Amino acid sequence: MSEPIRISHIPPIVQKFIALNWGLVFLIVLLACTGFLALYSAAGGQLDPWASRQITRFCIGVLGMVIIAVIDIRVWYRLAYPIYAAGFVSLVVVEIFGHIGMGAQRWINLGFIQIQPSEFMKIAVIMALAKYFHAAAPEDMRSVRFLLPAGLLIVAPIILVLLQPNLGMAVMTGAGGAAMLFLAGAPLIWFIGGGAAVVAAIPLIWSFMHDYQKRRVMTFLNPESDPLGAGYNIIQSKIALGSGGISGKGFLNGTQSHLNFLPEKQTDFIFTLWAEEWGLMGGTALILLIALILMYCMWIAFRCRHAFGRLLAYGLMINFSLYIFINVAMVMGLIPVVGIPFPLLSYGGTSMLAALVGFGLILSCSIHRDAKLPRM
Amino acid sequence: MKTLSRTTLHMTGSKRTALDMARGRIVLISAIFVISFIIVAGRALDVAVIQGTWGQGQETRTSLLEHKNEKTATVRHDIVDRHGVILARSLKTASLYADPKIITHPETVAKDLTAIFKDMSYGDTLKKLQEDKRFVWIKRNLTPDEQYKILYLGHPGLSFQEEERRVYPQGELAAHVVGITNVDGGGLSGIEASFNKYLGQGTSPLALTLDMRLQHVLKREISYAMTKHRAIGGAGLIMDVRNGEILAAVSLPDFDPNLSGDVKDVKRFNRLTLGVYEPGSTFKLFTTAAYLEKNKNGLGDKFDATQPLVFGRFKINDYHAEDRLMNVAEIFMHSSNIGSALMGHKVGTKDFKDLLSDLGLMTAPDIEIAEISAPLIPQNWGDINTATAAFGHGIAVSPVQLVSAAASVMNGGIKVKPTFILNRDIENKRGIRVVSPETAHHIRQLMRLVVTDGTGSKADVVGYHVGGKTGTAEKNTRGGYDKNRLVSSFLGVFPSESPQYALYIMIDEPKPTKDTYGYATGGWVAAPAVRKTIESMVAILGMEPQEPKDDLKGSLARYVPPKEKINMQKVSHETE
Repeated sequence: MSEPIRISHIPPIVQKFIALNWGLVFLIVLLACTGFLALYSAAGGQLDPWASRQITRFCIGVLGMVIIAVIDIRVWYRLAYPIYAAGFVSLVVVEIFGHIGMGAQRWINLGFIQIQPSEFMKIAVIMALAKYFHAAAPEDMRSVRFLLPAGLLIVAPIILVLLQPNLGMAVMTGAGGAAMLFLAGAPLIWFIGGGAAVVAAIPLIWSFMHDYQKRRVMTFLNPESDPLGAGYNIIQSKIALGSGGISGKGFLNGTQSHLNFLPEKQTDFIFTLWAEEWGLMGGTALILLIALILMYCMWIAFRCRHAFGRLLAYGLMINFSLYIFINVAMVMGLIPVVGIPFPLLSYGGTSMLAALVGFGLILSCSIHRDAKLPRM
Repeated sequence: MKTLSRTTLHMTGSKRTALDMARGRIVLISAIFVISFIIVAGRALDVAVIQGTWGQGQETRTSLLEHKNEKTATVRHDIVDRHGVILARSLKTASLYADPKIITHPETVAKDLTAIFKDMSYGDTLKKLQEDKRFVWIKRNLTPDEQYKILYLGHPGLSFQEEERRVYPQGELAAHVVGITNVDGGGLSGIEASFNKYLGQGTSPLALTLDMRLQHVLKREISYAMTKHRAIGGAGLIMDVRNGEILAAVSLPDFDPNLSGDVKDVKRFNRLTLGVYEPGSTFKLFTTAAYLEKNKNGLGDKFDATQPLVFGRFKINDYHAEDRLMNVAEIFMHSSNIGSALMGHKVGTKDFKDLLSDLGLMTAPDIEIAEISAPLIPQNWGDINTATAAFGHGIAVSPVQLVSAAASVMNGGIKVKPTFILNRDIENKRGIRVVSPETAHHIRQLMRLVVTDGTGSKADVVGYHVGGKTGTAEKNTRGGYDKNRLVSSFLGVFPSESPQYALYIMIDEPKPTKDTYGYATGGWVAAPAVRKTIESMVAILGMEPQEPKDDLKGSLARYVPPKEKINMQKVSHETE
C-alpha cells in the first residue's frame, strides 16, 4: 500500500505533520475562537476569569491533539484495551472517593487540573468497541456470544457513572455504545427491541431517579409551573434566545446573560449567550460550523481503509455530535436540562480536553487511513 | 490453487458485503443526524423568531414582576387613620422550624438555640428537637438579626418559613379599636376581626374615622384625670355629631398590640363598646327632650323637688338639693333627680321608652367592631323604672350608645349611627328625625346653661361655647348603690349654637382630692378633662373662636333667674 505523501528526505514525523488534515484543525480552532469570544462576553468584556484560562487550556490541548494525531494508529489499536481498563479503574476510584466524601463526586484532582474520568471513559469505550469489532465477521455480528462482551464493555461503565450519579453522562455513554453496535452491524431487530425495552423501563428508571432529576423532567414538561424554581433556567434561556431575535443584540450587549438572569451562562448555557448576542444568524452560523466539522469527520471515517479507524472516527464523531445536539436541544427547551456542556465552547477543562483528544484520534485515523492493522 | 483462489474470492466477497452494510448504516446514521439538526434549527427559529416577539422587551422584567404580584396578593392590608397614619401593617418575617429527623445532635442545636433565644429553656427546646415528627415550630417571627445568627450556626434541619407579622406603629394608642390578629394573621378583636375578610383580600388600605392627634389628646387628658383621682379606669369618645364619625375613642387601661401575648383581660376590655354603665345624670338629656317633645313650651313648667320621692320601697334623693319648686330648666341645670323623675313620670312610660328606642338606646349599637354589648334594660319596665331611668339609673348603656344618642339630639334631631369607618356615612345622611328642631335647640340652650351657670362650669373654653351635662352614677354592688364607688362623667358639645363635636369622658371610681374639696363628681373630675381636650382640639383642628353675641348664654334668663336672685329668694324663704 502507498503512503499518502512520499518525500524521502523529510523525517517521518514531519511528513505526518504535513499530512495532518489542516482543514479540520482550522475548523476546530475556529470553533474554539467562537468559544473565546463568548466567554469574553460572559465576563462582561474581560479575558478574566474565563476566556484567558480557556485559551491556555486550548493551546495545551491542541498540542496534545497533534501529538495524538501523529502517533501511529497501530499504537492506539494496541492500547485500546489498556486505556479502557485504566478508565474503568479511575471511575471505580471516583466511586470510592465519592463514598468517602459527601454528595456526588465526579472529579479526580491531579493538582493542576481536575479531571472527570467519565468524559474520557466514553472515548475509551468507543476505542475498545472499535477494536473489538475491527476483526468481526458479518456472521459474528449475529452471534449473541460474540456481542455479549461488547455489551459488557458498554454497560459496566454506565453502571458506575449512574452510581455517581450522573444521568446525562450515562445516557451519552449508552447512546455512543449503541451507535457503535449499530455501525458494526448488529442486527436491526436488537435496536428496535432495545428501544422498546427502554420505553418499558421508564417507570422503573423514574423510581430510581433522584428528586432533582425528577424535578428536571417535570420542569421540562411544564417549565412555567415553577418559574422561579426548577423552571427558572429554561425559561430564562428561552427568553434570552427570543430576545436575541434574528440579528441579536450585538457583541457584549446580551442583557439576560450579563445581568445574571441566565445561570451557568459560561458553561452549559453558553449557546444561549451566543445566540442572544448574535441572534438566529449567529446561532445558525455556529451550527453550520459544527455541521462542517461533522462532515469532515464523516469523510475521514469514510476514507479509512481499516475497520478500527472507521469505527473509531465514526464513534467519536457521533459522541461529539451527541454533545452538541443534547446541549443545544436542552437550552432551547426541546429536552430536559441535563448537565451536558457544549464541547470547545463551554468553560471547563475536562470537556475541552476530551473533545481535543477525540479529534486527535480522528486526525490519527486520517493520517493513518491506509495503515495495515492485523485481523485477529 | 483453485480452492485458494476460491477462498480469496469468498473473503473479498464477505468483506465487500460487510463494507456495504457498514456504509449503509453510516448513511442511515448520517440521515438521523441531519434530521436532528434540522429539528434543532427549526426550534432555534421557533424560539428566536416565532416566540421571540413574546420574549422581547420583557426579558429583565419578567421575574421581578411575577414576584411583585405574588407579594401584593398575599399581604394583609394596612389599617390607617383618617389622615393616612398607619395603625396596622403587615411585614414579612421569617419563622424558624426544625426537622428533627435531620438534626443529628439535638443537644448541640438546643444549646445554640437557647443561647440566641434567651427566653427559651434548654429542656423544652431539646424535647422539641427530639420529637418524632418532620416539622416542629421553634420560634415565630424572628428579627433579621436572629435569623442571621441562626443561618450563621449552619445546623442542618433548621429552616425558615416566610410569614407575615402584624405591627402596630401607634402601639397602645388605638389598640381597642384597631384590635389584634392571631399568630396566623387572622383578626381576633376590633376592626381586625370585624373586617378580617376585607383586610385579607381587599384592594386598598382600610381608613378609619379616627384622628390620631385627637386620639392622643383625649388619652392624655383621661390618663391625667385617672392618675389625679386614682381611678381604676377611664374612657372617652369624640364624635362628629353631624355624621356619627368617631374621631377618637379611648379606653383605659389599654395594651400594646405588638406584645399581645400576655395581656390581661382587664386591659383588653373596651369600655366604650363592650362596657355598659348606668349613665347617671347625663341621661336627663333624654328625659328633658322627651318632656319638651310632649310640652312644646314646657321649659317653665314647675315641679316640686323639696321632698324626696318615694316609690314603694325606693326613695329618690338629690345631690344638689335646691329644696324648692323648680322649673324644667332649673331641674336640668341643677341636675335634680327628684325633678327628673317627676318629669319622666309625667312623660309616661310608653312615650319615654319610645324615644329611648328611637335614639337606639334599647338595643345593641350597630357599629363596625367585634366587641359590642347590648344595654341592660329592666325586664318588666314599670313606672318605677321610668322614674329611675329618668335620671340615669336602673338602666345601663355603653358609652358609644350614649354619645350617639346625645349627638342625635344635639345635631338638630336627626339620628346618627356611630361609625369607625371613613366615608361610610351614607346611612347617616338620610337618618330619621328623632326630636323636633325646637326641642334640639332647647336642649342645646340647657346644656350651655349647665356650663355657664350649673354643674359643668369647669368644662367651659372661652370662645368655643361649650355645652354639656355632668353625670355621676353610684356603682351598683351586691348590697345596693355604693356612695364611694362612682362613675363620673361629662358629656360635652361645642360650639353649642350649631354643634360639631360631642365629647364624652368617663372616669371609673375616681377618689376625691383636696383641690376638688372632697368631690369626685362628674363636674369636678370629668368636666376639666373635657375642657383641656377641647382646648387642644380647637388648636389641632384650627377652629375659629365664636362671636360672643352668638352665645346661647342668657337665652334662658326668663326661666332661670341669676344666681344672686336665687340666693336672695332662699334667704327670704328662710326668714319667713
